[in-house]
Amino acid sequence: MLGRILHIIKRDITVELRERFTFLSNLLYLVAITFVVYKIFGTLEGPTKMGLFWVLMVFTAINMVGYSFSQMSQSRKLNHYQLYDPAELMIGKLLVNTLKLFVAGFILISLQNLLGNTSLKQPVLFFKAYALAVIGLVSVITLVSSISVYSRSQNGLVSILSLPLLIPILLLGMNISLISENPDRMLLGATVNNYLLMLLGIDVVLVVLTIIFIPIIWKS
Amino acid sequence: MNIKDNWWKILGVVFMLYTLIAGILIPLKPGVLEFSNSRALTGSIYEVDIETYNTYLTIAPTNVWLLLPDDKLIKADRTNVIDNNHISASIPIPHDLEIPTDRGIAATIVIDNASDGFFIYPDGVRIKKGDSKNTLSPEYYSISDLKSVKDFKFPFRGVVFETIRNTFFHVAIWMSMFIILIVSCFHSIMYLIKKDLNHDSRSAALTTVALVFGIAGLLTGSMWAKFTWGAFWTDDVKLNMTAIALLIYFAYWILRASIEDVDSRARLSSVFNLFSFVCLMILVMVIPRLSEDSLHPGNGGNPAFSGEDLDNTLRAVFYPAIIAYALIGFWMAQLIYRYDILKNNFLDKEY
Repeated sequence: MLGRILHIIKRDITVELRERFTFLSNLLYLVAITFVVYKIFGTLEGPTKMGLFWVLMVFTAINMVGYSFSQMSQSRKLNHYQLYDPAELMIGKLLVNTLKLFVAGFILISLQNLLGNTSLKQPVLFFKAYALAVIGLVSVITLVSSISVYSRSQNGLVSILSLPLLIPILLLGMNISLISENPDRMLLGATVNNYLLMLLGIDVVLVVLTIIFIPIIWKS
Repeated sequence: MNIKDNWWKILGVVFMLYTLIAGILIPLKPGVLEFSNSRALTGSIYEVDIETYNTYLTIAPTNVWLLLPDDKLIKADRTNVIDNNHISASIPIPHDLEIPTDRGIAATIVIDNASDGFFIYPDGVRIKKGDSKNTLSPEYYSISDLKSVKDFKFPFRGVVFETIRNTFFHVAIWMSMFIILIVSCFHSIMYLIKKDLNHDSRSAALTTVALVFGIAGLLTGSMWAKFTWGAFWTDDVKLNMTAIALLIYFAYWILRASIEDVDSRARLSSVFNLFSFVCLMILVMVIPRLSEDSLHPGNGGNPAFSGEDLDNTLRAVFYPAIIAYALIGFWMAQLIYRYDILKNNFLDKEY
């Protein structure tokens, strides 16, 4: 099973590299928006930086992951359906999408640091929260996009369905990243670890649900 | 009509009537609304005008007391009943009362008479060391000297007052909404196992009812918030999470509306229903408990909604209220479900 998942990942990455325009267009979108916001605010610091970061992450995730199903051609879908077990395919897809989104977010935060001439106060804490949040974002949006493929207005539906579901992850991620920027916000010593554990728990639940539900959705 | 199969509807209506009648008509216990003077000095007379609520002070002779931290009571040597809800009293504070710190000690105003029993304003008066040279040494009484009456009334609480009755509407509607959602999820699972479209229709009908209940819960909660917290909408975590939860269920409706094929609509919306129920649990149950600043009871260090807050008189109406709303909700869902079936049959014939 592990071998097959690795194969799926390898193949997905190959496909990604062959069709790099989608990933690059997302990056270009990130750079453009960050630059525009930087010019509007004049500075990128503290809550502004983190708020901008998470909002952009959500929209990038929806663009990048949300349409990953609808962009697949019909013949490739059929090919996947014949070749792979849906759960394995989904694990592979989740991993690749997480990697993509993680890289995009890393570029985003580096760009923000560069433009705002700042650095992260507690990078380790920030990246813990960030990595966990990315896993959650990817699993929710993957499930939702696989649902919305079958509907008439899929593009609008992905954001309508996924945004409310993403809010718990975003709130936790936002809180932890604000604490990482400004430790004074932390009232109780145990809070940050609680938040991280919470986020981990939500991720586990979401990923497990996604992997359980995908075979059901995949059938048609 | 077959009574045997429909007993739960009758039960629902009976409990609903009980909730409305008992929930609105049972009076509140007497309590102290306001008093004029919150500072007392040792060795001097403490004069106070008290405004009470739901009391009949003129019916029976009324006493005013100060309850000290060591459970000793000082009786007022003069009381003047103005009307049923106003009384003034003067209480001698002993000159040799032990005051350990400069901040003084907190004392509780207690009022009792034979018709209302005793009622208190907890820790309302602060007694400090006075410099008067008078010697006052009134007699001490114990708590067993207070008159008490046993009656079936809702507790009187500061801030909420009469709106404590909203427990039977706001809180009970929420609880029954969760019961309905759990049943809806059960039908979603049954659909995914058995592929019977009836389960999907039931699940959708129940979710619709739950959405209506959610809106009702939000509205009643909003009214309660205006009264107790001062605004219709506050930055409270639970409130905002709830609004998001409603958004999720609106999204469920949009999803259902946007898929034409019956089978894939049933499959996808069942999956989404289960998924969003898990997210709802995370939103409403877990996250508010983690945050430090919630106004709701049971969150952010506030005492949980149990024990003293929910006493037995409230419970006697609160639990039937939950059952009533849940049963009425199932009834509503059944009607929606039947309408759905009829509509589908009609459409099948038509085309």
